[in-house]
Amino acid sequence: MRRRGIGFAVWRPSNGGSVLSPYGLDIVESCLTCKMRSDRIFCDLPTAALQSFEAIKYATAYPKGAVLFVEGQAPRGIFVLCKGRVKLSICATDGKTLILRIAEPGEVLGLSATVSGKPYELTAETIDPCQVNFVKREDFLRFLKDNSEACFKVAEQLSEKYNNACHEVRSLGLSHSASEKLAKLLLEWSSKNGEAVKQEPRLKLALTHEEIAQMIGTSRETVTRLFADLKKRQIVQAKGSTLVIRNKVALKTMASNG
Amino acid sequence: MESAIQPNCLECALRFDRVFCDLPANVLAALDHVKSTIVCPRNTVLFREGQAARGVFVLCEGRAKLSVCSESGKRLTLHIAVAGELLGLSAALSGTHHEVTAELLDDGQVAMVKRKELLNFLREHREACLHVVALLSQDLHVAYDCVRSVGLGRSRRPRAVSA
Repeated sequence: MRRRGIGFAVWRPSNGGSVLSPYGLDIVESCLTCKMRSDRIFCDLPTAALQSFEAIKYATAYPKGAVLFVEGQAPRGIFVLCKGRVKLSICATDGKTLILRIAEPGEVLGLSATVSGKPYELTAETIDPCQVNFVKREDFLRFLKDNSEACFKVAEQLSEKYNNACHEVRSLGLSHSASEKLAKLLLEWSSKNGEAVKQEPRLKLALTHEEIAQMIGTSRETVTRLFADLKKRQIVQAKGSTLVIRNKVALKTMASNG
Repeated sequence: MESAIQPNCLECALRFDRVFCDLPANVLAALDHVKSTIVCPRNTVLFREGQAARGVFVLCEGRAKLSVCSESGKRLTLHIAVAGELLGLSAALSGTHHEVTAELLDDGQVAMVKRKELLNFLREHREACLHVVALLSQDLHVAYDCVRSVGLGRSRRPRAVSA
């Protein structure tokens, strides 16, 4: 696919024509031809199940900052995140926000609400331009009833989400201080990037201090102060948007002692 | 008083009221084949946080406390499970360590299904798998409520009003 301009790319749909796809995304129109599907829990389905899924999904592109669904809203369906990242958050009545997780491609969003029929528990907002496959609730429930392999994969995804939620409860409810939570978060991010084994792991800081504060349940000012302190003590070093963990042992000590 | 719980799921009078247990007779017969029924006294720890998942526990009778613990020993209760709930399901399905500790609060009865047998059972019986998906969705709602409670210290935001 040849990119044209800033926000658009040429998209060649199955009918052979080419149109401009929005937000510079290489839209994968069919799950059957997606090269990434074998690496993704939900998408790695038998061909027959994928064909059924193709018939009920709507491939959509969203810009950065689009809200897929809002906490408390009645469930319309599921959103399979194909490309880009999505911020999942909960909000208090006073507007205080807590970011639970940043969803990565391959995740199914709005799953528990769609299955149970209860309102969405979280708000999902894109932080990159995203490709999302949307499936209406009734269609999805019928699809699960007809495809046992898909049903099993949904159970696996829900299990993973439950484990993450428990991890979040532990981190928020049992950590003693904001410094402990920040240290844990940085170590967790470095382990996700496969950098944990390195002497000086590097990680890309894709979130603002405000958003990091919302992930660990503290204020933006505290996060800024903690980063300044970590840099002063040479535990971390910032190189543009890349953060280098210079003293992993000290960061681990902070994570366990606060 | 005689308990309505039976070692055999097909003969259990309470199964119709329970999300997981209300299965067709042939599926229940298959479940009976792979499960072991255990009567446990109060304070029995079914599994501990960090322990590799050996299987899943169907809580037939009694209540169980699900909690998480910090390295310093501080404990936080997530949920009190009641009869009919499945314990250790997410860890058993994902093949990871248990994220919570489950401890019986009453004398109770549990049916244990080993992980490997559970996975085969769910693959072979779509109805059971659908029930498991429903239960996991409920568990997830409870877990998110807990996150909201400890992270924001407040109750749920009012529901969005549709146009």
